[in-house]
Amino acid sequence: MSSSSERVSSDTDGKRDTVSSWTGASLAARRGLRTAALAVVLPLAVIIIWQYAGRGGSLFGGVLPTPDRVWEAWRIWAFGPTGLGLNPYSGTWLANLLFSAERVGKGFLCAIVVGVPVGIAIGWNRISAGTLDPTIQLLRPIPITAWLPFSIAVFGIQDIGAIFLISLGAFFPIVLNTAQGARDVERNLIRASLMMGAGRWTVLRRVVLPASLPSIFTGLRIGLGIGWTAVIVAEMVAVKSGLGYVLWDAYYVGRMDVVIADMATIGLLGLLSDMIIMQIERWVLNWRRLQSYQS
Amino acid sequence: MGTITFEGVSKIYGGQREVRALDDISLTIGEGEFVALLGPSGCGKSTLLNVLAGFEKVTKGELLFDGTTISKPGPDRGVVFQEAALFPWLTVWQNVIFGPQVQGMARPEYEPRARQLLDLVGLTSFADALPVQLSGGMRQRVGIARVLVMNPRALLMDEPFGALDAQTRLSMQQLLLDVWQKLNTTVLFVTHDIDEAILLSDRICVMSARPGRIIKTIPIELARPRSIASLTSPEFIAYKAEIMADIRITDHH
Repeated sequence: MSSSSERVSSDTDGKRDTVSSWTGASLAARRGLRTAALAVVLPLAVIIIWQYAGRGGSLFGGVLPTPDRVWEAWRIWAFGPTGLGLNPYSGTWLANLLFSAERVGKGFLCAIVVGVPVGIAIGWNRISAGTLDPTIQLLRPIPITAWLPFSIAVFGIQDIGAIFLISLGAFFPIVLNTAQGARDVERNLIRASLMMGAGRWTVLRRVVLPASLPSIFTGLRIGLGIGWTAVIVAEMVAVKSGLGYVLWDAYYVGRMDVVIADMATIGLLGLLSDMIIMQIERWVLNWRRLQSYQS
Repeated sequence: MGTITFEGVSKIYGGQREVRALDDISLTIGEGEFVALLGPSGCGKSTLLNVLAGFEKVTKGELLFDGTTISKPGPDRGVVFQEAALFPWLTVWQNVIFGPQVQGMARPEYEPRARQLLDLVGLTSFADALPVQLSGGMRQRVGIARVLVMNPRALLMDEPFGALDAQTRLSMQQLLLDVWQKLNTTVLFVTHDIDEAILLSDRICVMSARPGRIIKTIPIELARPRSIASLTSPEFIAYKAEIMADIRITDHH
């Protein structure tokens, strides 16, 4: 791998004949492969060291199980038989994952539906900025964990409480970034649209909104990350299902192997959802990526 | 149609120190006339264009377009911006039909004209390209086409070729001459390029900075139709000498 990828990077210093024989697609594929290879180096190293450091199945006097035991716990959690037996986690992985993902999805959607219009309003209109912005700035420093008692008191031990916390957490970065985007719309674009006869609403919809999209996507990515934090916190306390619930429950009964498998699941899910957003961003913001015909 | 009248127009920007961007401007531009506004940067020529476009309000005086006071921007005064100001997320075609679309015109009403104008500026084969894919000159041609498609009574151009390289600028000037000689719209053309002002216009208004005033008006009586070949004629050189002398005089004030 390393010798062939060396050649890819050397196309600037004289090995053009080697490089030009490759099509752009295979070049991109090689580059992708190299990126992936680089990405797994560190996690692999950590896992290997962890495995060897913890000979006998655990580290720190039996507290931390080694990767092979975590993997085994994960396998049973994911594919084991459900229902009876001594292992209450067996076969419940997917169901819990979906509980959490669904809550994040719902909460995130609420945050977008409220956050984007409010952000546009703040960025675009001075009166709405004056009315909304101070309150938002006041609420923003309150951490999501501080809302937990409030959420449980108001919504009880129910899904809606978790969804409330997730939307609240995702709302702030979405609103702030959207507002920033709407504020920074190039003045001449707005003038051009007014000159061509656009009314206020048309300017908002056809100029301010698309021009703000790059910032909005930044907000969405941050917001989704906070959404995952919020769902775990909420499930640990305020509902009785999902990855956060399993995490806390497994800790209580001393199943650290499940705890770590759960943590890894959360990490992978967060990564996956971020990649999905980035892919959507790539489609939607196609106009920012294309290269000039001229250069 | 397309008559512009400034009557004692002043524009003062408030702030810590007042700036008199326009000071008592009186100017009439007749129907179908091509007027160039020439001056150094910061002399208020863009401000003059902005109040005419309706982007900014005048502080004092009267500003009329076909006898009506200007209160806001509108498609009757098409503005061509220096950096084209195209919508980067729309294709060339979508940019060109933006005006008719937002005005609620039906597709059959604007489509033939839009196609014709795209052809006139030589961008038919780029209809589906995005602005980032175009050169500066091509972008500016889209900027002109999207304004002309609305059939404006006046064309307000704010240093439209200022950011282009010399060769592209020449071809754009030729294009503008060709287009204008066909359409005969009233044009107010802001520039700091003396050659450009002489080549294109019927009349040059030379402006001075702070306070922004029109210090001289020079009719250009070069024969029409003109082309960039006119740039080297003896009459052209004579006009250029005259204007350069004027500018030098104001420099010593």
